[in-house]
Amino acid sequence: MNERQSSQLLPGLFESIAEDQCVTVLHLGPVLPETMEYFSGFRCKLHVNDLFAELPLGFQPGDELTVQERMSNLVSFPEGTRFDVCFFWDLLNYLDQDGIIALMECLRPYLAPTTMAHAFVVHNLRSPQRDCRFGIVSTSEIALRSRKHKVPGYAPQSQGKLKEWLDGFAVKRSVLLAESRLELLLEART
Amino acid sequence: MFERNKNKQTAVTAEQQGSRPDTPPTKTASQASPSPAINRSTAMIGPSIEIKGTVTGDEDLVIQGKVEGSVELSAHQVTVGESGKVNADITARTVRVDGEVAGDIRGNEKVVISKSGNVRGNIVAPRVTLEDGAIFKGSIDMDPGEVPAKVSLAPKTSTSLSEKAPELDLKSG
Repeated sequence: MNERQSSQLLPGLFESIAEDQCVTVLHLGPVLPETMEYFSGFRCKLHVNDLFAELPLGFQPGDELTVQERMSNLVSFPEGTRFDVCFFWDLLNYLDQDGIIALMECLRPYLAPTTMAHAFVVHNLRSPQRDCRFGIVSTSEIALRSRKHKVPGYAPQSQGKLKEWLDGFAVKRSVLLAESRLELLLEART
Repeated sequence: MFERNKNKQTAVTAEQQGSRPDTPPTKTASQASPSPAINRSTAMIGPSIEIKGTVTGDEDLVIQGKVEGSVELSAHQVTVGESGKVNADITARTVRVDGEVAGDIRGNEKVVISKSGNVRGNIVAPRVTLEDGAIFKGSIDMDPGEVPAKVSLAPKTSTSLSEKAPELDLKSG
């Protein structure tokens, strides 16, 4: 798979970014060449953390660390970092309640009141797993590429639960996509 | 110089490397596996070589071995070959990574991580290219300077979300 998909919500991510601003971006997932090419035209700082490579993050019997402890080890940034834009892509479909809450706790110190985020979740819990990597081509287009290996731990959550667990963000807009998937535009909850 | 397992600061140049009789044999650039932008004044750290210390010099460098410490070739190109394992900060004009790097990379012009590259560290460069399949964890600080074609991330069109709602919008506000 090597597809392009239009996005009606991506423009909202960048609306509050000033022209001369150095943009700080969090990218939770593997980076596609398209993403690098897109951001290479701007003053920016990209923080790349492929949490998909760490899945599954749910607590397993015998684990020495709690999910919160594991997440803390995986998600940390230099002091003073404030993200303008966060790309979760479809990571939230692979985290359980503990994982999502832990992720939010780790991110909270790095969010500004104007931080915006983007995510793919599901409208229907029976929506099939879509094993792909995501990238940004433009402010209105997303690139999708197949993964070589199936990502474990696919267990999408209902919108109600996500709304409760996404402490730090509120859903600003959502758009229904094919196969009962949802594209979310999130804004920092102050 | 290219001594194994000696934890001391060492400054080397490729000329020095070639002039020392006790230097382990290394491949010349022409014998190395194909790598872009390697010219005739390119030094090579071969696959069996391990260096601990500071690597400096005045020519391009291909690293197929192991380097621990720092690599400082601000005016030249550094290529970490597929068999290269660098546990060091790298400063160069351009840096290409086909192997593994754990450390910060500063490219005065450009940094390229190829599809076989694996980098854990922070990158500072005006331009950064990641090929599909590259593994990267860290931050990338880019400042391309004047880019007339792109001046803003934000779309300055009338299709602003506040003005035009998506057709399939389920939630608002």
